[in-house]
Amino acid sequence: MRKYIDSFTEEVCIALKNAPAEEISKAINILQAVYERDGRIYIFGNGGSLAMATHWVSDFNKTVFSHNLSDHPRRFQAIRLPTTEEELSAWANDVGYDMVFAGPLQNYIQEADCVIAISSSGKSPNVIKAIELAKARHVPVIGLSGFDGGQLNVLADAKILIPTKPGAYTVVESVHHALMHLFTSYFQDYFDHLHARNEKRAT
Amino acid sequence: MIITRAPLRISFVGGGTDIKEFYEQYPGRVISSTIDKYVYTVVNHARLLDTLVVKYSETEIVQSLSDLKHGRFREALLQLQIPGNGLEIASFADLPSRTGLGSSSSFSVALLKALHAHLDKPIDKRTLAEHACTLEIDTLKEPIGKQDQYAASFGGINVFQFNPDGTVDVEPIFIDYKVRAQLEEHSLLFFTGISRDTKNVLGEQKLKMSEKFETYKQMSDSVLLFKEKLQAGDLKGMAEMLHEGWERKRSLANTISNSALDELYASAIAAGAWGGKVLGAGGGGCLFFIAPPEEHATILKGLEEKASAAGLSGYKKIEFDFSQSGTDILYNSSPYHA
Repeated sequence: MRKYIDSFTEEVCIALKNAPAEEISKAINILQAVYERDGRIYIFGNGGSLAMATHWVSDFNKTVFSHNLSDHPRRFQAIRLPTTEEELSAWANDVGYDMVFAGPLQNYIQEADCVIAISSSGKSPNVIKAIELAKARHVPVIGLSGFDGGQLNVLADAKILIPTKPGAYTVVESVHHALMHLFTSYFQDYFDHLHARNEKRAT
Repeated sequence: MIITRAPLRISFVGGGTDIKEFYEQYPGRVISSTIDKYVYTVVNHARLLDTLVVKYSETEIVQSLSDLKHGRFREALLQLQIPGNGLEIASFADLPSRTGLGSSSSFSVALLKALHAHLDKPIDKRTLAEHACTLEIDTLKEPIGKQDQYAASFGGINVFQFNPDGTVDVEPIFIDYKVRAQLEEHSLLFFTGISRDTKNVLGEQKLKMSEKFETYKQMSDSVLLFKEKLQAGDLKGMAEMLHEGWERKRSLANTISNSALDELYASAIAAGAWGGKVLGAGGGGCLFFIAPPEEHATILKGLEEKASAAGLSGYKKIEFDFSQSGTDILYNSSPYHA
């Protein structure tokens, strides 16, 4: 048993250590710019990645401002797509599963916004459809992928690829979660700083 | 209605090497950061209006595009083949023009972005920057470089390299908020109250290009070292490089500095600033310093006294933050149909 545990944790640790710092920095800059222009952040993916998208929305909309919730006149506006199960089933049933993200995205998307797409294979057709829509509108795309990155990594502006052997979903998703929390930590620290500085300037 | 905005910028080192006369012979480089001060453009499609209305420091109402006095509005509309009748276009800015913060090119970029949105055509950052360069440099024959159009379009801290073949490399510089906060805490920005005339300054610089070629090369090369110091958060090192850069720049043309600017600059250094520069082409505009926060009050007092003695009634401290966002559409009542 010990061997199995060691092997998994080691695999995750190595993958996490090799996370592309430059691309993560790029993603932070994209999010910073979206905050400055009061744009929105759309997050989506399939299965476990959709669960992470929901978690990320909660972290961005609330957790990063937690220490001074009432004192941030502008907060992130993160939205998980689709926003309801009803929309998901309606698009899937009436139009096709490949439109469950691109369809709802079209309702919201403005040029000031950005997109975070999560797909371990980087190949999910519904994720790619949504990315193509964002690209056509010149909306920046942060792509979290694994394996060989697929088309998502090709199209994304910030290419956060966790290279693994094909099918290593557990490793890729584990690292994606850790990186999501890196973003949460960074922006929580940043907004704490902003709050402290604004207090200082006010006195 | 469409509202766009483009940021102003603070150019750290390398400014002046972005003109064709130089970069055709040796790669020009500039490192700059945008700030949270903007130029805004509003375009309104007033379908029943049979004139073109353009509002800036003046208001022009014309029947025909060719009657428009304002060159940038006129040429931008002509190039995009927008007839003009039935349009109201206006521009606004957080700061006055001629401050050395690149506002005239920010204006062009914001305008072109808005006009593209009016045509229902999304445009990427690079194409937008190049379009503004073409408008200002090729069409309107302004003796300026390309750094401001790129800075405004891309946003954030970037190293721009202007290659001999006319292409431009854009390298975004990644620093975390802690380094950015440190830099903001140490930075001081002042409008001197002297509105400069870029054309005279840049005209003289161009004439002396071959004579001063080595100095330009040093300015371009210094960008790489400045980038390293910025990434390392070495504020004192950056300040010293600003100072050296300013000394180099003043040697390029007589009109870049004058006694009032020199006195203001010297007073801040004497009061404890680590280094600084006059922003933009020179001759006036804004002063930028990096100084330990505990010396800011003394520097401020000294500068105020000097400015008042020199009769500079427009002198003002400008509060600002560095920014990441480039040229954006803030509002579009008829969004893209694509």
